[in-house]
Amino acid sequence: MRIALASLVVACFLPRTADAGRSFYGWLYGTEVMPERGVELQTWILDENNKYATHTQESSIWWGPLIGITDKLELVLPIEMEWTRSDVEKGSFTFKRFGLEARYRLVSQDPVDAPAFAPLVRVAVKRDVIARDDVRVEADAVGSYEVGSVHALIDVGFISDIQSGTQHSELRPGGGVSVRVTDGLRVGAEVYSELSLDSKGESWAVVGPDVAWTHGRFWLSGALGIGIYHVKVAPRVMWGIAF
Amino acid sequence: MRATLVIIAGLAGLAAPAWAEPSGRVVGTVTVTESDGKPASTADVIVYMVGFVEPAGDQVTKIEQNDRKFVPDLVAITVNERVSFPNNDQFLHNVFSQSGTRKFDLGSFKHGEAKDRLFPEAGVVDVYCNIHPEMAATILVLPNRRHTRADAKGRFVLDGVPPGDWTVFAYTRRATKPTSAKVTVNAGADTTVDLAIVRGAEPAHLNKYGERYHNGGQVYR
Repeated sequence: MRIALASLVVACFLPRTADAGRSFYGWLYGTEVMPERGVELQTWILDENNKYATHTQESSIWWGPLIGITDKLELVLPIEMEWTRSDVEKGSFTFKRFGLEARYRLVSQDPVDAPAFAPLVRVAVKRDVIARDDVRVEADAVGSYEVGSVHALIDVGFISDIQSGTQHSELRPGGGVSVRVTDGLRVGAEVYSELSLDSKGESWAVVGPDVAWTHGRFWLSGALGIGIYHVKVAPRVMWGIAF
Repeated sequence: MRATLVIIAGLAGLAAPAWAEPSGRVVGTVTVTESDGKPASTADVIVYMVGFVEPAGDQVTKIEQNDRKFVPDLVAITVNERVSFPNNDQFLHNVFSQSGTRKFDLGSFKHGEAKDRLFPEAGVVDVYCNIHPEMAATILVLPNRRHTRADAKGRFVLDGVPPGDWTVFAYTRRATKPTSAKVTVNAGADTTVDLAIVRGAEPAHLNKYGERYHNGGQVYR
């Protein structure tokens, strides 16, 4: 009886959901959103090394404030910077694009009220800074399933670069599994790919380990993508600080 | 911390279901004194029983936000009941809990709005406002509906108690340790028990990020 009682006491202190990271993954969008009127500054840094036959190297920085409009909807104002170099192109760094993004979680964000399966949709419209007629449209359908300490997620993304008289589109599917190690730490693995839907681009894919860590108002997640198709290695780190 | 553990252990005593037999009552008085030995001028005291379970009721308990205070600041509910948090102030509040029994974050919401949460596990839930550190409330999530609020003189009556050997607890915010007594309840009879609580200072708490509050130069922790 005493052991049973002690177990119940311990059980009372086990969190129902992990606190690690707004996203538990590196290359994938999560299904978490800010609480109403919450604000967070989020940053990503990502590398795509030795892509394609042209040995293209890319490094990008994404930065943006996230604003919780309701408990299910958040708006993001991202800006993106990019450095690129390849066998046929000299290295160049540019403020690439900016835009507006919305993320809508279809179920409650409360861990008790929410079902185990949590879907989220994301749409974004961004404008190129240099090629001023170019617009990028992005969309993601994300679904996560959580049971105990295990969290699984599928993210099917789509982007379309619309230029004057031409268009290039990509499908960006990915998925991952993340396991809670402690309240603030998760580890897992994920797969991510960018698949060109036309002849104007090429495709690549990675798989690798990921980690997510939370400390108070700060969170960090990252993945080390090992190339399995047309890329050598693609690490990505994201972090955020909430206010 | 130890006191909280013992209280939760008590709340988790889900030994037997309530049964439809003639019931008895537990009556008595709770006295509350401050840690310096002086009697408390006012004290909100919840008296509850553990040892058996009952299903939740349909009611939604309210904890209102009035003049930078949670009103009431101590409520008792049964497992699987909801608590609503209406904001009656003209400014934003951000109600949250980091208690292991039930973590939640209602975000910031304005005057006239209310948000609610379900409490599916027995235990003690400490609730705070992330904007106003002086705001604090406690929710006792109990395994049955045999709980009541003592009157201004500390008197209480718990009726509908199934016959048997149970434990009765008295709890007030800022209690330095849990107060309980074993009771034997007989059908159709009153069981009398008197309880005494010693009350301390408001316990320290941090904001929802686990940090100290900084408010007008005064640091709350």
